[in-house]
Amino acid sequence: MEEILLNAEQRQITGKMVKQLRHKGYVPGVLYGHYTEPINLRIEQRALYQAVQEAGMNRLITLNIKGIRDPRRVLVRELQRDAITHTMLHVDLYEVIMTERITTEVSIVLTGESPMVQDGEGLVFQGLDNIEIECLPGDLPPQIEVDITGLDVIDATILVSDLKLSDAIEILTDAEEIVVRILPPAREEIEEVVEVEEVAEVEVVGEEEEGPEAEAEEEAKSGREQ
Amino acid sequence: MLMPKRVKYRKAHRGRMKGRATRGNYIAFGQYGLQALEPHWITSRQIEAARRAIVRYVKRGGKLWIRIFPDKPVTAKAAETRMGGGKGALSHWVAVVKPGRILFEITGVNEEAAREAFRLASHKLPIRTQFVTKEDFSAGGGAQ
Repeated sequence: MEEILLNAEQRQITGKMVKQLRHKGYVPGVLYGHYTEPINLRIEQRALYQAVQEAGMNRLITLNIKGIRDPRRVLVRELQRDAITHTMLHVDLYEVIMTERITTEVSIVLTGESPMVQDGEGLVFQGLDNIEIECLPGDLPPQIEVDITGLDVIDATILVSDLKLSDAIEILTDAEEIVVRILPPAREEIEEVVEVEEVAEVEVVGEEEEGPEAEAEEEAKSGREQ
Repeated sequence: MLMPKRVKYRKAHRGRMKGRATRGNYIAFGQYGLQALEPHWITSRQIEAARRAIVRYVKRGGKLWIRIFPDKPVTAKAAETRMGGGKGALSHWVAVVKPGRILFEITGVNEEAAREAFRLASHKLPIRTQFVTKEDFSAGGGAQ
């Protein structure tokens, strides 16, 4: 597998001032690890984008920091994006130790096509996009492929426990969770012509508990006013 | 139409719609989504109209999630009523939507169909929206 390289510089600017960095085409980030003192970084946006596209969250990146001699082996731990524009706002890089087991999430990729889907009799529902695994950084799979060609009936399911991974990898996600399921297709809806408006009929919590006593009290009050 | 089954208080203050959505602003269930770009109150009728537009277009197949719920009561005074006399009667229910909020999600259809279904649905809504995919929110996808 090809090595993914990324260059970064140490960053002195912190807090709200990092906006200026983003305007200049950098993404603020931080590097940390089990035995690593956190280092604030700034990374060129374009270079980071390419590295992240290639590496995702579970391929190792070789990070060269300007002014620090040894390159670091890192994983992208978290990538914050703008909710609307989806541009990168901040990146967390985690330095791994090749002999120490790490916990990370690996994406699940569906391969093949279910005969039910081909016939238009069902649709594939992917319950999990990622699963959490524990392994040595060297054993990290780039993704987990799940073949769905065997799912040929409605409600056919693949659970986390059905996934076959190498012995070096331990799955931490609950074994009973659904990875993929074949659902029946949505029924065609018969359109109603008449629309009834029901707005006022909403029960108010607490009112029903007051019951007849409260009503009697109110009646008495209105009687007094009269 | 969507509305709560029971509520703690029958009438509510109007409130304010500052800032962006901090929750429900990513695709959680489906493959494609429709994202709000403006703040607005979306009524249960508008949600239902948009839902129908989507379901009508995709026909069989596809699973749809509605990610907003109209839980805010809106009151109105009857026409030609003089001011005073307290707050008006319950008129309808709205969902408070801020920019970034995912309104609908869909899976089980191809991208082209999802785009067209959401385009039709967006015409039923009072706000600008954008089409988003799950990849836009993942580490490897999205914009620079």
